[in-house]
Amino acid sequence: MDIILNLLPHLLNGLALGLLFALIALGFMLIVGVMELINLAHGSLFALGAYVAMTIIDPNLSGYGAFGEWYMGLSLTLRYIIALAFAPVIVAFVGMGLEICMRRTYGKKAEYGLLLTYGAALVLEETIRITWGSAEQVLQIPDAISGAFIAGGMIYSNYRFFAAGFGLVLILVVWLFLEKTPYGSIIKAGAHDSEMVRALGVNLTRLRLLVFGLGAGLSAIAGVVLTPIWGLRPHVGVDVVIPAFLIIVLGGIGSFWGAVIGGILVGLTVGIVGALAPEWSLMSMYILLIIVITFRTRGLLGKKSALEN
Amino acid sequence: MFSPKTKLSFSKITAGVALTAVCTVLSATAATAAGKPIVIGLTSDASGQYANSGASDRRGMKMAIAEYNAKGGVLGRQIKTVHIDTETTPATGSRVAERMISREKVGFMIGAVSSGVANAISQVAQKYGVVYLNTNSSSPTESGKNCHRVKFVWDGNGKNFALAAVKNAVTAYGKDWLLVTNDYVWGHNTSKATRGLAVANGAKIVDEIMVPQGTRDFSTVLLKVQQAKPSVVAAAVGGDDQKAMRTQIAQLGLGDKFAWINNQQDWPDVYGLPKKNLFGVFGTTWYYKLDLPGVKEFVAKYQAAYPDTKMKVPGNVFYNGYMATKSLLQAIEAAGTTNNHAVIKQLENLKVSAADRMQHHDAWMNPKTHQMQQTVYLATSNPADSAKDDMFKIMSQSAPSAVADMNAEATCKLEALADTPQRES
Repeated sequence: MDIILNLLPHLLNGLALGLLFALIALGFMLIVGVMELINLAHGSLFALGAYVAMTIIDPNLSGYGAFGEWYMGLSLTLRYIIALAFAPVIVAFVGMGLEICMRRTYGKKAEYGLLLTYGAALVLEETIRITWGSAEQVLQIPDAISGAFIAGGMIYSNYRFFAAGFGLVLILVVWLFLEKTPYGSIIKAGAHDSEMVRALGVNLTRLRLLVFGLGAGLSAIAGVVLTPIWGLRPHVGVDVVIPAFLIIVLGGIGSFWGAVIGGILVGLTVGIVGALAPEWSLMSMYILLIIVITFRTRGLLGKKSALEN
Repeated sequence: MFSPKTKLSFSKITAGVALTAVCTVLSATAATAAGKPIVIGLTSDASGQYANSGASDRRGMKMAIAEYNAKGGVLGRQIKTVHIDTETTPATGSRVAERMISREKVGFMIGAVSSGVANAISQVAQKYGVVYLNTNSSSPTESGKNCHRVKFVWDGNGKNFALAAVKNAVTAYGKDWLLVTNDYVWGHNTSKATRGLAVANGAKIVDEIMVPQGTRDFSTVLLKVQQAKPSVVAAAVGGDDQKAMRTQIAQLGLGDKFAWINNQQDWPDVYGLPKKNLFGVFGTTWYYKLDLPGVKEFVAKYQAAYPDTKMKVPGNVFYNGYMATKSLLQAIEAAGTTNNHAVIKQLENLKVSAADRMQHHDAWMNPKTHQMQQTVYLATSNPADSAKDDMFKIMSQSAPSAVADMNAEATCKLEALADTPQRES
């Protein structure tokens, strides 16, 4: 009984962590699922989103007179909401720029796309370093979602549960968009049979541009939400790419709910193993992947993988 | 046809020409050696867990080198540097050292933050006899079982910092101790030192939580800490891992729920963080606000050299990089040669006054372990609403003899000088 009571906070924590992992994988999954492209710049777009948000929240407007005073007079909550809305849009445009560069690699070996996105990741990371410096930065959060609460004699972070809740809402919004809107239908159809979609008069070039922009925007949202927990530094994106890739392989490449379930499973595994044998906590997600792939080569909910082509 | 006399003259002329040619070649070689720059390899991290500290370390080395180059170099030769990213990865450290020595022909190597990387570099350095300065890595093993004749360690180690902190902490905060340990060589050895001292002073270790390198989410660790309810948490977690951990501790408000003893706190790891993230007690070897002669001038020099750096004041990592490099250049000058054996002897006998070190006590190189024996400071967060950069409050300072790592002397087995390959650069 004691063991169960001891594990309960870890289960709850693992679930929250799982939603955060799913949030990280969302943008990555969309681009892999629809465009069959492994976007190695995902982590850098994640970091860029966080840096842009940091600048929107706390910009240096000393030379901007009345506007500067007015803007900095806005509450932190309002500036945070503005950042959460606009940083992903800005990063989405960066993602679109990257997609335009990608076009010559379509129809060629997957390595071309991998190399190009890897190069883009390096360029983005260096750009961040040059623009914002290499020191640790802080992305401020409103007081309403900071602090902690006590439950069952344990202290939990408010922000962590806000982030997990936000992740859950975003997952549902993306799912509704893909399943219940005509745009979502076109995106999914483009993933299944792009030639047929083109034959039906859909502008495939624009579709890919929008999907890449959406994927980049989702990466940026994950960056804005997660960096107040993980900290903000130019190479923070490196911490993101491997779990994101692992989760979509675990869940099944191209499967929306596979990515969500994969994220939650990884979170629960890391949380529970962390409670019992902390030194194995990071390793546990890789062991989980090996176990799943051994029995289900295409992941939990995967159909034919893009990597099989 | 030549007459005998003419023949003799010809022989003399031939010999003279040959001698002149040999002399010309020799003097030209000597002139080239005198004129060619001394190449120093900077083996600091530019990526990975210690990227930020690596950059600070490098700035320190470069400022010392720039000062020497401005006054004509060393032994009349300019100093040139080569930097290759060691990526906070021991395997990369080995490759970088091999490449620097074999291809870049460096005469000396400087730089490390990660003890794993420092150990890897020093093994290669010993093989070739290249003098190597470990500027900033703090595992006790660096001057203990992993010591080498060519390696000199400039930072205080986990044992030094533990000696400065643990005894007082047991008395002041309580006897139930929990260790949070980064799962690699520095973490293990630092925790081992803390454990030994804590137990020796009457504490009980209630648990030790191992944290894999690269951990970004400390929620599980912090839940375990809460469940264990210790009176003191002694953390040996470094680099980006530590930054993430501090942020999450501050978010939970756990900073004042337990007494946190952070063995050591590198300046680049906390610079820019809110003061609420800087809790507990920790060790350091230097602070830019020490009220000692020369400190203000040193800070001004840093600010003039690096006006665009986000880190507006120098920290302990920069300081160690600078001091180590300066001492190496002084040793080469004192030896009058770049011969590694001569430079090693100079460094083994190194003594630096407190004034020159900008510390409270004289420092010296321990010839048995090759670790710099220096003042260790205990610090905590500065609660005063002072300048943004004034983050630390120095609580106490310990003389080198009070915090000496005696275990290092017992475990360090330096290679004989005769077994260390000779080289000049």
